[in-house]
Amino acid sequence: MKTRNYFFWMVIAILMASAVARAQESAPAASATDTIPVTTHSAVAQHAYEMGMVQREDRLFVDEGLEFFRQAVKADPQFALGHAALGYFTTDPKEAKQESALAVKFIDNASPDEQLLIRWMNSTKNGETVVAISAMNDLLAKYPNDKRLGNLAGEWLCAYQGANERGEAVLSRLLKNDPRYYPAMNNLAYCYALSGQPQLAPPLMEQYVAALPNEPNPQDSYGEIMRMLGDYPAALEHYQKALQIDPHFNASQVGVASTYALMGDERKARAQYLVAIKGTSERSTQIGYRILYAMTYYRENKPRLAREEFEKVDAEAHSAGLTVQEAEIHRAMALFNPEAASALKDLDEAREDLSDTRTSNLLPGDRDNELALILQARAFIAVNSGKTEAAQATLKLLENMAQTNRSTPVQEAYHSANGAVLFAHGDYANAIAELQEDPQNPLSLQLRAEAQSKAGRSADARKTLETLASISDERMETAFAAPTARMALKRDATRPAQGGAN
Amino acid sequence: MRNRWWIVCVLLLSVASVAFGTDYAIVVNPANPARALSLVELGKIFKAKTTIWPDGKGITLVLREPNSPGTKFILEKVLGGTFDEEKAVLSEPSRKTAVPVVFAESDEEVMRIVGSNAGAIGVIDVYNITGGVKVVKIDDKQPFDPGYILKGR
Repeated sequence: MKTRNYFFWMVIAILMASAVARAQESAPAASATDTIPVTTHSAVAQHAYEMGMVQREDRLFVDEGLEFFRQAVKADPQFALGHAALGYFTTDPKEAKQESALAVKFIDNASPDEQLLIRWMNSTKNGETVVAISAMNDLLAKYPNDKRLGNLAGEWLCAYQGANERGEAVLSRLLKNDPRYYPAMNNLAYCYALSGQPQLAPPLMEQYVAALPNEPNPQDSYGEIMRMLGDYPAALEHYQKALQIDPHFNASQVGVASTYALMGDERKARAQYLVAIKGTSERSTQIGYRILYAMTYYRENKPRLAREEFEKVDAEAHSAGLTVQEAEIHRAMALFNPEAASALKDLDEAREDLSDTRTSNLLPGDRDNELALILQARAFIAVNSGKTEAAQATLKLLENMAQTNRSTPVQEAYHSANGAVLFAHGDYANAIAELQEDPQNPLSLQLRAEAQSKAGRSADARKTLETLASISDERMETAFAAPTARMALKRDATRPAQGGAN
Repeated sequence: MRNRWWIVCVLLLSVASVAFGTDYAIVVNPANPARALSLVELGKIFKAKTTIWPDGKGITLVLREPNSPGTKFILEKVLGGTFDEEKAVLSEPSRKTAVPVVFAESDEEVMRIVGSNAGAIGVIDVYNITGGVKVVKIDDKQPFDPGYILKGR
């Protein structure tokens, strides 16, 4: 943890007092309390676990939170819930697999309700969605007043399941019971922003920043919400306020960088990304930022420089053993590769990264999610270059995956690739239906608009293009597809809408 | 809260989505040994052509109220006809002694009834599943599987 200011230490003191209180609550005799017990023989581990939750979930100091979880399992190597939490929150796929396995190994050390929480955490990672939902609902019913549990569940439903209405219901209930529970307010704002009700997010953000004027995350979240809404100057203003409160709040640093990237000021973006890269000690996060840095060259149409930069990051990811990131890098290179045959080779390399023996260190869910995206990109590139047979063969692979992995990314990738193949066969109606199953992916939106247009549904096509054009995020797919949509809309601005929307 | 969402967007990609309906789950009492049914077998239960489980327990069908969107969708999917035709199937007088139908006001009530009746079979929104019931596969697929027949839109 880095030194910040007097207020910061005041907050920490208060939070530590609260941590002790929670630790006392979680003693076996207090298992009938409002919160899920935390079982470890080590007081140090218990305290570090609570601090991990405070930093990671309540304050959104991600790196610090992970470090506390690592301290917790170091203090008690048989601390099942500690391992599960570290496996759930870490951005390092290897660590995720290792920690999830340790959670299972030591699960008998945990109380029955902790075991349920561990099952939920692990199932969300492994694509066992029905098991995860069942465990989550049992816990929510048993601990209706455990705000942190409700917040975790609401966040999972919105961010990972796309079940926004349900997530909103869980988070709204938390806020009804405690209007000052700010982590839920934060998540609810994001949920609204992602579920087509963006106008509801800024008022929540106003409350959030007013309530915690000395915390950086409210300003950071406000910045991100404004960026999602396309208001870049406001986004920059809030990110900068967050950095004034805490210059080490690296999330805002990368927020500034990405906002410049979306504004088209790639030089400024690169300068800011470099600061962000230096500002994190998490290797996987560093590689993630390096990918965003390399993307800026694609954004300014310098594909050779982008490729060179990606090759450098690839070497670093390889030496760090971050195979999922290596695959992601090759996928990005493929997406922006103008030569279809060469792009398919990039994707072959991406698949090889994931079939590397080192991926035995990965959770199947982490590997499969990336593999699904690679196959999805392969199907799209094959369809766009008229290689229908290759697309069909890729779809078969995805179909096999989707039969056994029910995670949302795998399922969405399958439906989307199926839509692409149907499109290639001229079956636009079914292509549209399948592409709708992947509603936020810019590649799917782009093809959906084309299918709608070919099916004579011009008004629908325009709506889809508007959705695509309004996406303001850091994804490589957005950088690839959204600018084209914006140009198409600009071009068609004077033409009246045709065809029926439905 | 930025980092979590950044991870979602950049590492997993395209996870967030708007609500597009839900999958419906067929649930039975956890003590029921049944793990899977075909859609045809499920249809026979709905039509009261099959009245008992293989272990001899009588079947009770538990659904949300007949005009609810979920029940409408399920009846059309399972029985294949129009909603009005299928609703009539459920209200035939002879059913009461064959496969009685219980209409519940909520998914929680469906699960409470199924959880306390060894022969009951119910339909609920998959996001309401709890450990008090068991999900059975339909045509070898469970909710979230591609091609799952009870996927709502």
